[in-house]
Amino acid sequence: MTPNDPAGKRTSGNPATQAQLNLSVKQQREQQKQQKLAEYQRQLAKRRRTKATWWIVGATAAIVVIGLVAASYFLTPRPVSIARGDGDGAGISGVQTFEHTANHVEGVVDYEQTPPAGGDHNAVWLNCGVYDQPVPNENAVHALEHGAIWITYDPSKVDEAGVAALKAELPRDYTVLSPYEGMDTPITVSAWNAQLKVDAPDDERIGEFIKAYWRNTNGPEPLAACTGALDAPGKQ
Amino acid sequence: MTETGGTERGAERTLPPWWVVLLVALAVAAVAFAIGRFSTFGIAGSTPAEGSADAGFARDMQVHHAQAVDMAMTIYAETDDEHLRALSYDIATGQSSQRGEMFDWLVRWGLPQYSDQPMAWMAASGSGHAHGVASTAPQSDDEVRAAMGMASDEEMSALHDATGQEADCMFLSLMIRHHEGAIPMADAVLELGSDERVRVFAENMKKGQTFEIQAMTSMQQRLGCS
Repeated sequence: MTPNDPAGKRTSGNPATQAQLNLSVKQQREQQKQQKLAEYQRQLAKRRRTKATWWIVGATAAIVVIGLVAASYFLTPRPVSIARGDGDGAGISGVQTFEHTANHVEGVVDYEQTPPAGGDHNAVWLNCGVYDQPVPNENAVHALEHGAIWITYDPSKVDEAGVAALKAELPRDYTVLSPYEGMDTPITVSAWNAQLKVDAPDDERIGEFIKAYWRNTNGPEPLAACTGALDAPGKQ
Repeated sequence: MTETGGTERGAERTLPPWWVVLLVALAVAAVAFAIGRFSTFGIAGSTPAEGSADAGFARDMQVHHAQAVDMAMTIYAETDDEHLRALSYDIATGQSSQRGEMFDWLVRWGLPQYSDQPMAWMAASGSGHAHGVASTAPQSDDEVRAAMGMASDEEMSALHDATGQEADCMFLSLMIRHHEGAIPMADAVLELGSDERVRVFAENMKKGQTFEIQAMTSMQQRLGCS
């Protein structure tokens, strides 16, 4: 199998044995020295490898530990947002919000909104319920302070069927339904410091507004009663 | 040379350098810390959700209690009977406080006070079926309130207009029915609820109202209510 080779001039025996035979004593010592050196270097390389392995293990462990600690922070379940569904109508288009004082006053109050969505009011609150006559603002605002929703409709623009549809939409407690003249739109839904104006009783935003603001914690007294005070004329 | 190298490695194994010990200790402490944090995740995420029996109970029982407070305040102002006045004071103040606590549960759970379908949460319970809660079509407000033992608008205005012994007796029969309506609601949340405080609350409410029903029944006899 060996081809004719220029290096293969020597034809006697194994080439390795032939090479050994050709070495002098000095060369043999040199070779032993080289072998020892090679052995030492192998040991050195092995130690380096061991050291590198430990560095890799150590670094990996460190990354894992840091990752665990970081994950225990990043993955912490967020505390439930108190704002969700509770006085936060930001997601409902057309909702206006205000800031009002809440003093008890006597006589007529000039309110910023029509109908009012909060402000100074009479010491006696309006009992919640359905009214077929306009109710006094100063008492109705006190009901808003107690967490009520006040739905007002323009009697010249909303017919009986519309009023019945509104009535069906409302929770029984903590709502006032009453006619109101001179509004921008046929229907207004008001809570303390929040208001929504809509055109029709079947507007979906009415229900969304009620869900967000009915007895919400933004109002000053969401746990106070909406009974036991003033039944204005026209209460059904 | 190989001998020396071997001995060195042996020494390293038996006595690791101080900084290795420190690092390992730090790592163990950090892992323990992370596990500690992870262990709280379940607790933080387990508040009752929208549609749960706990939330349904918290909402419907507030409505229920609000009417009891209204009725108790009405008779408190009207009655001449000392014991009935004390009982109505107890009911009005006690149920107002309980209502406040239920309000706060919902605030802390991040849920609205408003209920889309009152009493729907009870349908899955044994007492829900016995209590006339339909599991199919949503009921009208009046039907739901009647199922809760609540007084109708007519009954409420009759109570407001009544005087003397007639008012006392009317109050007692309305309030007994009202309390009796609360007990299946407490049973339902004990069966379906998950929040520990809600369970304790429902258990106590059930005991308290059962006792008050007995007290009101004997008061009916004493006052000669037919």
